[in-house]
Amino acid sequence: MTDQKNIAVMHSKNLNTEKVKGKAGKIIGKIIVYAFLILMAIIVVFPFYWMIISSLKSLPEYKLPNPTFWPKQIMLSNYINAFNTASLGKLFVNTMIVGIVSTILSLVITVLSAFAFARLEFKGRDTLFAALLATMMIPGELFTITNYITVYQFGWMKTYTVLIVPFLVSVFYIYLLRQNFLQIPNELYLAAKVDGTSDIKYLWKVMIPLALPTIISITILKMMGAWNSYIWPRLVANDENHRLITNGLRTAFETTVAGEVDYPLQMAAVAIVSFPLFLVFVFLRKYIMKGVSRSGIKG
Amino acid sequence: MKIVFEILTKIFPSRNKKSGEEVVAVNDFSFTIPDGKLIGLLGPSGCGKSTTLYMISGLQKPTGGKIFFGDDDVTELTTEKRGVGLVFQNYALYPHMTVKQNILFPLQNLRGADKLPKKEMLERAHYVAKLVQIDELMERKPSELSGGQQQRVAIARALVKMPRVLLLDEPLSNLDARLRLQTREEIRRIQRETGITTIFVTHDQEEAMSISDMIVVMKLGVVQQIGKPQDVYDDPTNLFVAKFLGTPPVNVFNGTVKDGKLYIGEDAVLDVKGVSDQDVYVGIRPEGFIVDENGPFHCNLRSVEVMGRDVSVVSDNPAMQSAVIRSIVDADNKIDATAQTISYTLKPHKVFVFNKETEERIYFEV
Amino acid sequence: MVDSKQQWKAWLYLAPAIILLLIFTVWPIINTVRMAFINGFDFSYIAENTKDEKIISIGIRNFADVIRNPFFTNALKNTLILCVLTVPLSTFLALLIAVCLNSIKPLQKLLQTIFFLPYVTNSIAIGMVFAAMFNIVGNVVGNDIHGPLINNPGIINYVLEFLGFDRINWMNNGSSYWANIWVMVIYIVWNALPFKILILLGGLQSVNKQYYDAAKVDSTPKWRVFTKITVPLLSPMLAYVIITGFIGGFKEYSSIVGVFGDILMGPPHDPGRLNTVVGMIYDYIEKRNFGIASAGALILFVIILIVTFINLWVSKKKVHY
Repeated sequence: MTDQKNIAVMHSKNLNTEKVKGKAGKIIGKIIVYAFLILMAIIVVFPFYWMIISSLKSLPEYKLPNPTFWPKQIMLSNYINAFNTASLGKLFVNTMIVGIVSTILSLVITVLSAFAFARLEFKGRDTLFAALLATMMIPGELFTITNYITVYQFGWMKTYTVLIVPFLVSVFYIYLLRQNFLQIPNELYLAAKVDGTSDIKYLWKVMIPLALPTIISITILKMMGAWNSYIWPRLVANDENHRLITNGLRTAFETTVAGEVDYPLQMAAVAIVSFPLFLVFVFLRKYIMKGVSRSGIKG
Repeated sequence: MKIVFEILTKIFPSRNKKSGEEVVAVNDFSFTIPDGKLIGLLGPSGCGKSTTLYMISGLQKPTGGKIFFGDDDVTELTTEKRGVGLVFQNYALYPHMTVKQNILFPLQNLRGADKLPKKEMLERAHYVAKLVQIDELMERKPSELSGGQQQRVAIARALVKMPRVLLLDEPLSNLDARLRLQTREEIRRIQRETGITTIFVTHDQEEAMSISDMIVVMKLGVVQQIGKPQDVYDDPTNLFVAKFLGTPPVNVFNGTVKDGKLYIGEDAVLDVKGVSDQDVYVGIRPEGFIVDENGPFHCNLRSVEVMGRDVSVVSDNPAMQSAVIRSIVDADNKIDATAQTISYTLKPHKVFVFNKETEERIYFEV
Repeated sequence: MVDSKQQWKAWLYLAPAIILLLIFTVWPIINTVRMAFINGFDFSYIAENTKDEKIISIGIRNFADVIRNPFFTNALKNTLILCVLTVPLSTFLALLIAVCLNSIKPLQKLLQTIFFLPYVTNSIAIGMVFAAMFNIVGNVVGNDIHGPLINNPGIINYVLEFLGFDRINWMNNGSSYWANIWVMVIYIVWNALPFKILILLGGLQSVNKQYYDAAKVDSTPKWRVFTKITVPLLSPMLAYVIITGFIGGFKEYSSIVGVFGDILMGPPHDPGRLNTVVGMIYDYIEKRNFGIASAGALILFVIILIVTFINLWVSKKKVHY
């Protein structure tokens, strides 16, 4: 085939110059990629950096015409003032009560439902499960209106109950855990039945340990949910005794038309609120990423 | 395009960082692949045959040594610049493109002086599609094709840019038995029609023997033997090659050479002039046995399987290395299947003697 | 065969979930639709002393009220603008970062971790940080952003001036609508990146490496590998990220509360200017205009549904398997 010979000639010309060009091009490409990624990483990290250094500055330093990138004098007192100004202590206790109670109850409900959907046979199981999944498509705002009326009629306004009960069931978590339970071979369940193990014992001794990573993911996401929730608490329990941390933070530092804002103080409060999340990120990142990416696969 | 390897070596850093042991995938590899031939790279898994293929394609870089295409040293050249066609084991067809788009893809990559007008691209695509007989399937997606059809598309995609060398990585391993037979003939035909130097990798000796002009037998990164399939079969250089080629496999025995005679157990089975006294391995091809009442080699008869043209005799002997002795003899032989023993005379050119330590072949005068 | 004991047990295990879902999920779906179509449904319809005397008239007056309300149409406009700007921008940036991350070896894990950082944050709290970064420190009088009462222009403006640009009044007194929008766009994109990068990088890493080897053998130029192989193979993840991006975009609210405050929802001279559809719905709930709130929520639901179907329809044509 003559074609082939022509191509062979074509391939062999200029090989040496191409070698050099290829190598230089590769290095330049790598430099551009790294430069871009590092620039983006700086942009991503910068708000955290700015929050921390601002929280450590004195107000006069913050107001200097040229911003300083490291505080001249480290004002740890901002943190104490912020803690008192926003009464973060009380907010923290409220949030922990709501977070812990709702996480525990939610886990119990989720585990039981996921077990029923994954392991037990009952009429209409698949239809019911499909119906549950369908509710995930409806935006939460649609529920909020009626739920507001419902909790009002139940007389739950301004209680811990109103912050805990309406959101105990998450169809998404049930789905997540059911998928995990399904991966556990059914033979294990049947073997346990043969040995006379009760359902609850089997659930506790076999299913839960095997699905522990998912359960940890759910726990973290639920706790973070309480920590970050804002809209619903503002509607139903925005009073001194039950206010949650995010609402407290926003309310304490509400920007007003004329008022001058003490930014270092505000940044200190923001840093205090962000700190637990930062710890979660450092130590439990893997579980969150797993939970999040699994939600990606289902789509 | 002739391909020359010069003392090629590929060392992979160890996966286990602690032990730090390196894996030598290809060791000290020197030979020449002649132009326009179909070559089978043959060996058990892990013998370095795929690594060799990837080094030819440029996807992996050799640790040492050189590769030449014709007179060009291509060792430092990236894959993109080598102009090879590669058919992957699981084809790597782009799932989102139709057959036609898949085949056109390499041509659309050509730039500058090599750029082809659209019409010529289509003509070429149709030419290779016809060549591999998939011109009816051009608008389908890979997921709508059978395994054999996908294989052909992959070959067409590799051929469309008229590569200097066509490489096939285990081309038949994902096909069922019937398709495998058909496709290997097809590869033979396509190679003949295009005349492109083609190298394929396989672990199936029958596959390699049946269609290759030349086979390269490898073991643990070292080339054992190179040659025409029949030559390698008839004249293996060591025990590994003898064992690896042939179905049913060669029968291996512990033997002894004493005073120019080869003994298996108590039986002096063959004269082996010029071999010094020593313990040896003896390999006897299944077709090397002649049933002979007065033959010198006595075995216990187990069963006789009639296969029409031939008869397969299963017997055993205390000195054998394998589980049974399998010999293939002409169906004209009348064998009493109820007998306890059977005696053979051996065909000298079907008997190979190997050094017990090195397992290298010891040649003797017939 | 389904044994009846198991049936009974299953329903027992499901009971807590089902009871709660009936009260807080199923009933609201029905009731919200009901309230939306009862003209002028407000607090008096549920208050003990007046509820029996109420004459119920059915109609679409709530919907008419919502649509005729200029604050609502303004909120709808804000929501649409934020969606249209943030979704393509964040998707494109996330794709670029994911592809770059996937192509490197040293530092990959570290950078991946850094890019995930904004996911684990409180959107109100970090919104306040963004406000601090964009805010001009001092009093802006009129539109004079160089005036004598200004202490410093804020860190973002400082960087802009350092790079030779003029400072911009991002969100202070007298700031322009589009400056406000860009503050929100930057914050929302920053916030949306981690999820998108995580999904896209996961997608990239699950692409069979052999496609890239095959492309290499065929001398495919880099940009062609990107447009013809990477993007199509990634299209299911891209579609997912875009659809969830739009759904999230239409529900944008708390990020604006974080930056501008829940009372102002805009710059000091024009409060409420940046309110969104969800914000409007909450305002109606707080004013106990339940009928109008329900109508607004249904309109939002329908918009999300339509946008999702358009997305799915487009991706059916573009997503390849």
